[in-house]
Amino acid sequence: MARERSMSQSLGSLSRQLKQLRVLMVGAGGIGCELLKNLVLSGFGEIHVVDLDTIDLSNLNRQFLFRHEHIKKSKAVVAKETASKFNPSVKIEAHHANIKDGHFNVAWFKTFNIVFNALDNLDARRHVNRMCLMADIPLIESGTTGFDGQVQVIRKGKSECYDCQPKPVQKSFPICTIRSTPSQPIHCIVWAKSYLLPEIFGVSEEADMDISENDDNIEEIKKLKEEALALKKIRESLFKDNFAKLIFEKVFKQDIDRLRSIEDMWKSRKPPEALDHDEIAQASAGIDPGVSRQDQTPWSVTQNHAVFVDSIRRLVSRYKIMQGGHTSPVITFDKDDEDTLDFVAAAANLRSSVFDIETKSKFEIKQMAGNIIPAIATTNAMTAGLCVLQAFKVLKGEYHKAKMVFLERSTARVINAEPLHPPNPSCVVCGNASSNVLIDPTRATLGHLVEDVLKQELGYSDDISVLHESAIIYDPDIEDNLSKKFTDLGLKSDSVITIIDDADEDPRVNLSLSINEQTLPEDKQPVILPDKVEVPRKPKQANGIKGPDSLNGNGEQQGEKRKRSASISTEPHSKKQASGKTDDALLVDDSAGGAIVLD
Amino acid sequence: MAPPIATTPPVLQGPSAKEKKYDRQLRLWGANGQQALESSHILLLNSGAGVVGVETLKNLVLPGTGTFTIVDEAVVCEEDLGVNFFLEQSSLGKSRGEECCRLLLELNPEVKGFHIQKTIADFVKRSDLSQYTLIILVAPVGSLDVASEVSQIAWDLRQPLIYVHSVGFYSHTSVQLPPSFPIVDTHPDPPSTQDLRLLQPWSELLAYAKTQTADLEAFSDHDHGHVPWILLLLHYLEKWKESHNGEFSVRDDKKAFREFVGSHARTDNAEGGEENYDEALTAANRALTLPTIPSDLKSLLLEEECQIPRNSSANFWLIVNAISTFIKKHSLLPLPGTVPDMKSQSKDYIALQSLYRQKSQQDISEVTSNVRALEHALNRHIPIPDAEISAFCKNAAFVKLIHGRKLIINPLKHGWNDNSITTIIEHTTTMNFVSGKPSLFPILIALYGFDSAIAAAASVRPESNNLLAAASASPGFFTLMETYIRDVFGKLDSTSEDLDEALQHTLNIAREIQRSGPGELHNISSLTGGMIAQEVIKIITKQYVPVDNCLVFDGIESASAVYRL
Repeated sequence: MARERSMSQSLGSLSRQLKQLRVLMVGAGGIGCELLKNLVLSGFGEIHVVDLDTIDLSNLNRQFLFRHEHIKKSKAVVAKETASKFNPSVKIEAHHANIKDGHFNVAWFKTFNIVFNALDNLDARRHVNRMCLMADIPLIESGTTGFDGQVQVIRKGKSECYDCQPKPVQKSFPICTIRSTPSQPIHCIVWAKSYLLPEIFGVSEEADMDISENDDNIEEIKKLKEEALALKKIRESLFKDNFAKLIFEKVFKQDIDRLRSIEDMWKSRKPPEALDHDEIAQASAGIDPGVSRQDQTPWSVTQNHAVFVDSIRRLVSRYKIMQGGHTSPVITFDKDDEDTLDFVAAAANLRSSVFDIETKSKFEIKQMAGNIIPAIATTNAMTAGLCVLQAFKVLKGEYHKAKMVFLERSTARVINAEPLHPPNPSCVVCGNASSNVLIDPTRATLGHLVEDVLKQELGYSDDISVLHESAIIYDPDIEDNLSKKFTDLGLKSDSVITIIDDADEDPRVNLSLSINEQTLPEDKQPVILPDKVEVPRKPKQANGIKGPDSLNGNGEQQGEKRKRSASISTEPHSKKQASGKTDDALLVDDSAGGAIVLD
Repeated sequence: MAPPIATTPPVLQGPSAKEKKYDRQLRLWGANGQQALESSHILLLNSGAGVVGVETLKNLVLPGTGTFTIVDEAVVCEEDLGVNFFLEQSSLGKSRGEECCRLLLELNPEVKGFHIQKTIADFVKRSDLSQYTLIILVAPVGSLDVASEVSQIAWDLRQPLIYVHSVGFYSHTSVQLPPSFPIVDTHPDPPSTQDLRLLQPWSELLAYAKTQTADLEAFSDHDHGHVPWILLLLHYLEKWKESHNGEFSVRDDKKAFREFVGSHARTDNAEGGEENYDEALTAANRALTLPTIPSDLKSLLLEEECQIPRNSSANFWLIVNAISTFIKKHSLLPLPGTVPDMKSQSKDYIALQSLYRQKSQQDISEVTSNVRALEHALNRHIPIPDAEISAFCKNAAFVKLIHGRKLIINPLKHGWNDNSITTIIEHTTTMNFVSGKPSLFPILIALYGFDSAIAAAASVRPESNNLLAAASASPGFFTLMETYIRDVFGKLDSTSEDLDEALQHTLNIAREIQRSGPGELHNISSLTGGMIAQEVIKIITKQYVPVDNCLVFDGIESASAVYRL
């Protein structure tokens, strides 16, 4: 056919092969739109697109399969509709769903020849990485940040997987830095977004906060809890006229006065200066709250006050309307929700002026609070093009020619490539053993698995833990679950559980078991391994590289260090790493162990 | 149910829909960059299969480029439908420029687009190219003379021109900038932006350091561990000089000095060291350099427009002149005034920050008064905004001046600009030191051969609507490329074995080009369209540093290389 002339001449036999292939593309955003176009015009036969997101106005500067009239519609569905027009012979399937949904199981992944990740978050990337490893299907992983981009080829046993290299640690702050001793604008922004806003209009974070107290901060933490409680009391006056004033005086006067009275705290720091509500209110009386539209230059204290009061007015009236439907409505921060953004910007800046910290413009605060990653059409076009080029190598089985490719802003070379690295033997993800387990849902308990299968059949010692989606459901100290049925633990077909060998001597690598529900004959055990399972021992020097668990837990060590230092965060500017950076969630962690992910 | 509230509060206007739509890119090039983009008019002179040009426009229409015009003589054929996303079944037989224009405009209602169905030769002869901000010329034009003519016109008009090939798995992008193309907002990486003046501290900084560290030895462990590293280095520099005849040599003493500083860190604590000392040691290498005037800025100062600014000169040149006056007086640039994050106590850090900020403000005021004096002397009535002067001062060390060069359209006829034969041989034969793969320069030579072969085919069958189809039909096509390539190598006038190997490699590339149709692969054109649009945006916004001046891409190796020709 004439329309395929140059494609078939350049690709030779691969071009005929492409028509027979089934491709999975996870994510139909910036890279996804470009990728789908390229896949369609490269002649791939069948393409499945999975995305749970809907289209937003801020997508339109790059996600070219979407138009204004598509806003709020499913990305996967609209991408399919637009792209199908351009090659009638290609078959596109759209799934408006979460790739982590159970029915996208290992068996389903196995029906594809290749998978493309065009995602924007770490969690989903890790999930698809694991699924592709278990299904033994090649994965082309990609990501962009501004002008930087990255493409990685992942194949079980042949190359590094997504988790072979530790990913940059999430930004984290000790609770005390946020609540008592802020020294940077970001501390005040996190305070406004993750403490003040939820305390007034949402669900209090305090309830979930697991604070293991220690001598250093026990007093302060107690006080902070009291403060939060007092704030909750004020919430009862939500519909009173002076509500904004009550909040203002509580957080910018009373709490500050209390902090200031702790002399120890200010020996080596400048003490905070409380704000006088009436004085500021008088000065800001004539200010049009419309000043909040000026988002490029920081507001003055009085302008901040005007926006603070006005945004509370707007949020309260929304709360009132929402109360019509719910007993306790929740307003959460959304960077694209002008009312919450104004509230956070004004509150953060007022707190900054209390602590003599530089104030920021609304535009900057939006980026910091909303974790906005710059994104442009050009980088996406290049990255998606590189994904397809790497896919050609993979489909020809030429892993020795496949590359890890980086786009960089420097114009010395523009594109940098390096050969694929072999798998990291200590990786807790691809170094895993994996298999299936059959369970009879009417009879099987966790005890059957632990006692009969793991200990008896596979010879594990007592020192093991069993995890489901990173929650521990069994270890020697948690025996309550042993008598529970799988179904009562939320385990069903396609759930994956991980067995970790905690033995001190010569432990085995982690074992992932994919559950399959089946009615088994009464005379058979209710939990059966259908295939022969061998779990190799961990390589000896396994403590060099930290797995994802220790990665997130890193805050413990760092937090400890920070606490001993006075207050200035000395976190070095982390080196750019394209795909990791797109995932940064703000994480507030209490240096004594508790951690709350705030985004 | 709660009763509905009696009065609905006024809805507060958020940012405009346009700002929201462009939010993610505004974070890269700001409102100024966006404004420049929106007032630009891009001209695409399209030819060949035409995909790479249209993909480039796609990446410019999405971020809101004001206007584009497509010049394309072609009529849509079946083959176009398989590679060009911006055509549809119903486009068959219609003007390709018109159809692409229509479908591109669907992407962004704020953009205006025009199309002209003419040959490039015809269009160039009868049009005023000065109305365009930037021209993109897609090879193969079919006549090397016409391509040269476009290059000459753009050069005379001082208009940026981009020349592009996308053939099979290869692509090439050359940028022809005006002879003098200055960029103020280069967006340097944060670590390189710090000029802290540790070796030439101004008196207030030195005095502050002295008072703060006078009793350093007697400090409590806590205080000792929280002295900002800037003060540590200043303190130990003074100490060092005391024992070294008042001298510190950047070249010879750094290593010993770092050891000297390290030896004063307290180690008898729980951590077994001090973070602020560690930071000082890490920072010493970069921070202990004498502030210099970067070469790009130096060459700016020598430009005639800087030395003799006129009433009609751009603001840029008046500021450069004012900075030149500042440099003559102080032998230093205005201080940028930013201080990196460091281990310290809040109050010390804030004090340090304000010291640097004050000094920076002081320098900026001096430059500003130079500018005002100049404005007065030149009888200019609209003062340059303070913000523009201040931004320039803070970026002064990173201001970049690109000396644009003319495109090389036909090296056999016009040579390689002022590159020596040795340089070209080096480009041709040097292996990529990272990948160990052959140089990408032969791809460029093969593409010149391709152009020449197409031009030869076109001269035989000038009436043909589709040059590429005509070319691939011509049995002697490869021979035409080969002859050209051999002639180019012949002119390199060397008998080196490496060069012979490179010739064979170049001929293999020509065979690969022949095998591809020759035609465009959508994926390669899409990727290249991303690269080109990125350079276009840098040039139009005058932000970031564009490729200078020739970028070659190899889709087989997923590799690229940049040459200055």
